[in-house]
Amino acid sequence: MMPLILTGLSAGYTNKPVLQSLSLALPAGRITALLGPNGCGKSTLLRCCARLLTPQGGEVLLGNEDLASLSARQLGQRLALLPQQHLVPEGVSVQELVGYGRSPWLNLFGRMGTLDRQRVQAAMEQTQIAQLATQQVCKLSGGQRQRAFLAMALAQDTPLLLLDEPTTWLDINHQIELMALLRERQQQGRTVVAVLHDLNQASRYCDHLVLMSAGCVVASGTPEQVMTPALLQQVFAIKAEVHPDPVSGRPMCIVL
Amino acid sequence: MKKPALTLAILLMLVALVLLLSVRYGSETLSFADLHRALQPADSHYFALVEYRLPRILLALLVGAALALSGVLVQGVIGNPLASPEILGVNHAAGLMSIGALMLFPGLSVMWLPLLAFIGALLAFALLRLAAGNSAPLRLALLGIALTALYASITDYLMLSHPLEINQALMWLTGSLWGRGWAFVYVALPWLLLLLPLSLLLCRPLDLLALGEEQATTLGINVRHAQQLILLLALALAAISVALCGPLSFIGLLAPHLTRRLVGGRHHWLIPGAMLIGALLLLLADLLARTLHPPLELPAGVLTAIIGAPYFFWLLMRTR
Amino acid sequence: MMSGRPLIAWGGPLALLAGIFWLSLFSWSPVPIGSWQAISALLPGKVSVLSQALVLNLRLPRSLVAILLGASLAVAGCLLQTLTRNPLASPSLLGINAGASLAMVVTSAFDPSWVAGYSIALLAAMGGGLSWGVVMLLGRGWDTAGDRSRLILGGVAVSALCAALTRATLLLAEDHAWGIFHWLAGGIAHVRWREFWQLLPFSILLLPLAWLFASRLNLLQLSDDSARTLGIRLGQLRLLVNLVVVLLVGSCVSVAGPVAFLGLLVPHMARAWIGNDLRLMLPIGMLFGAVLMLLADLLARAVAFPAELPAGAMLALIGAPCFIWLVRRRT
Repeated sequence: MMPLILTGLSAGYTNKPVLQSLSLALPAGRITALLGPNGCGKSTLLRCCARLLTPQGGEVLLGNEDLASLSARQLGQRLALLPQQHLVPEGVSVQELVGYGRSPWLNLFGRMGTLDRQRVQAAMEQTQIAQLATQQVCKLSGGQRQRAFLAMALAQDTPLLLLDEPTTWLDINHQIELMALLRERQQQGRTVVAVLHDLNQASRYCDHLVLMSAGCVVASGTPEQVMTPALLQQVFAIKAEVHPDPVSGRPMCIVL
Repeated sequence: MKKPALTLAILLMLVALVLLLSVRYGSETLSFADLHRALQPADSHYFALVEYRLPRILLALLVGAALALSGVLVQGVIGNPLASPEILGVNHAAGLMSIGALMLFPGLSVMWLPLLAFIGALLAFALLRLAAGNSAPLRLALLGIALTALYASITDYLMLSHPLEINQALMWLTGSLWGRGWAFVYVALPWLLLLLPLSLLLCRPLDLLALGEEQATTLGINVRHAQQLILLLALALAAISVALCGPLSFIGLLAPHLTRRLVGGRHHWLIPGAMLIGALLLLLADLLARTLHPPLELPAGVLTAIIGAPYFFWLLMRTR
Repeated sequence: MMSGRPLIAWGGPLALLAGIFWLSLFSWSPVPIGSWQAISALLPGKVSVLSQALVLNLRLPRSLVAILLGASLAVAGCLLQTLTRNPLASPSLLGINAGASLAMVVTSAFDPSWVAGYSIALLAAMGGGLSWGVVMLLGRGWDTAGDRSRLILGGVAVSALCAALTRATLLLAEDHAWGIFHWLAGGIAHVRWREFWQLLPFSILLLPLAWLFASRLNLLQLSDDSARTLGIRLGQLRLLVNLVVVLLVGSCVSVAGPVAFLGLLVPHMARAWIGNDLRLMLPIGMLFGAVLMLLADLLARAVAFPAELPAGAMLALIGAPCFIWLVRRRT
């Protein structure tokens, strides 16, 4: 179980930090959604959690370990990231790409063992791209490519999974499948943190919501606690009503 | 895309073929019977074969492979298929060092040139690292280009102020295999036997770097360390090549590019494939250099440029 | 940013230009020329003294060519950087210099007597245009949304190719090698009135033409789609700008050989001085370019006096560190 605890985090891209002294505790073994308008710092926060950005102040604790103290390999074994944009090399097949996900677990010579191959196969089946295994990644459609990179992150088999706007390229049925996949991972005891745009999707599929605005955490809690008309008005400047979703019972917001 | 293994096998056969042709043809053509006899020290063709051609084509094999490998490594780090080892400034710095030495000490024996060229290459890299700090590979490439322009200017000035040595200097500056005997092969062999297998260990980091720096970081690679190690290796290979044969351009640019077309982007096919194509290119260039207009011998560096030109246009056709 | 203070913004560079021009007329001459004699030689009247003759026949054309050269290359650089939306674009980095040089070397290797007159400028321009075309296609220069560095790296590759072929030609044409080689280093030491008249028509025609199009060129800084919807005939404009650049560079290369760094650095200087508006940037660029070229030529004479360094080498010595600083700041 890997709780993610951020204390006093200040981070940004230039002299003026996007996040200022932010403190947040993300529950272990749950699916957390980071929500907020553009520029609120949710991607910055996610990247700090993936150690892609060096914080200017504060620290990130994964489990009981300080993220900054981990070696590159240890980092790869603790967390996996699905970024927003992908660089797709030529001449690499889907199976090979998903195989890259096993890199942090392989030795110097990069030989894949039985366990590694099993993980790769399972990841491809879960994302429904097993039939594309021998095709070149650069020739796939946007949605198929997204699923290939997701499979790579799943094959990495880490206790923490971070996703930056994973539903962007996907059709609605694949979006639902992705969220169901994340739910499976969570039930296996992993921690999942995703930056999402769709409020209702987040409310329906996630256990914990974090609402951000202008580099600060405005609210953090269950969907019932966070999805309130007052908070939505404050963060998104929208007038909305919140009612329970007739299918799942989770709060659903309807913009007036 | 053909199976990469099949492509590599074909390339290997092509290399063997060109090797054979190189041994047979030159300022005089040796028949197979001649070849067989020429291995005896007493034979009249012994010198031509064993002392002249054999070391030369072996060197072409080794240096061609080394330059191609250097190109693969540089392209893997800079992430751009138009990058090449020349960008590191190695060629021009090594050239500057050699020309400078030739100007300052006109009686200098040619045997010193490889060492001087190597030192020049190392200094260039040190200067580049100094100017670039710990920055992104792309910035490194651009700074390398700036420094290259500087070295080229200084070289030009030196050559202008010493007009008598211009032709000799021009010969060295173009890169050639002329007059390279067994001594050069003995120098090259241990270094390359060490560095070439080392590069195979870098296959996986190179593959991951191709996914972008961020993705590579989350897959457990220390990106900056990997990039620096790879660049250092690329530099060593390029420096040794320049030290032995002078600056030979385009092999480091063409070979990886061509190989990528044939076997794809995975480095455990790309690296051996590029080495074979690099060896092939240089062997071919040297063969043509010796046989186009005997007994006049063109420098191999000229021919690699001439081979390079149509390739660029072919690239253009494809881009359209 | 001097856009608010026009007196300094324009007066400063003009004064600097005048000063350096005057300096170039008499300083560091093997035959001493008095500073007042330099001025009096320019005034109408009989030329009585040797030093005044020197000024009229050697120094004056040389300095005037330096001014035209600097202005032309600076404008070419500004146009290239606007066209490709790439702050590192320049005639030398994008292979135009190398292509023009190759064309000239190949021609002169065949027959040295061809290396004169307007035809050679056009020949150089064609060579430059060809290599420029190759670079743009290789480096996907039109795709400005993509990888910026691809263009530069393509330029380096094509320049290297042209340089290798140039060296090959030099090797094969041994007897002409020295003269060509000297010219390849880039400089105006050999320049007389003939070269001035060779260069003048191109500069006189093309520089004002470029300036006339400046306001439309400003819109090139936007994305292709925005520029089109603002009423610009993109294809036509690009073609025209390309033609102007290639002719400017070709004429300069045919007179002084390949001169690097001017086209790269002066646009940045002009931008920092007066802002992004091409209507102001182009004239200021011409002034700065002229100043820089005169300065380089001056220093080239001063550094190894009484021998002379090629001005191109001097520019590289100044320009390379500036380029390094530029790259460090911008990336």
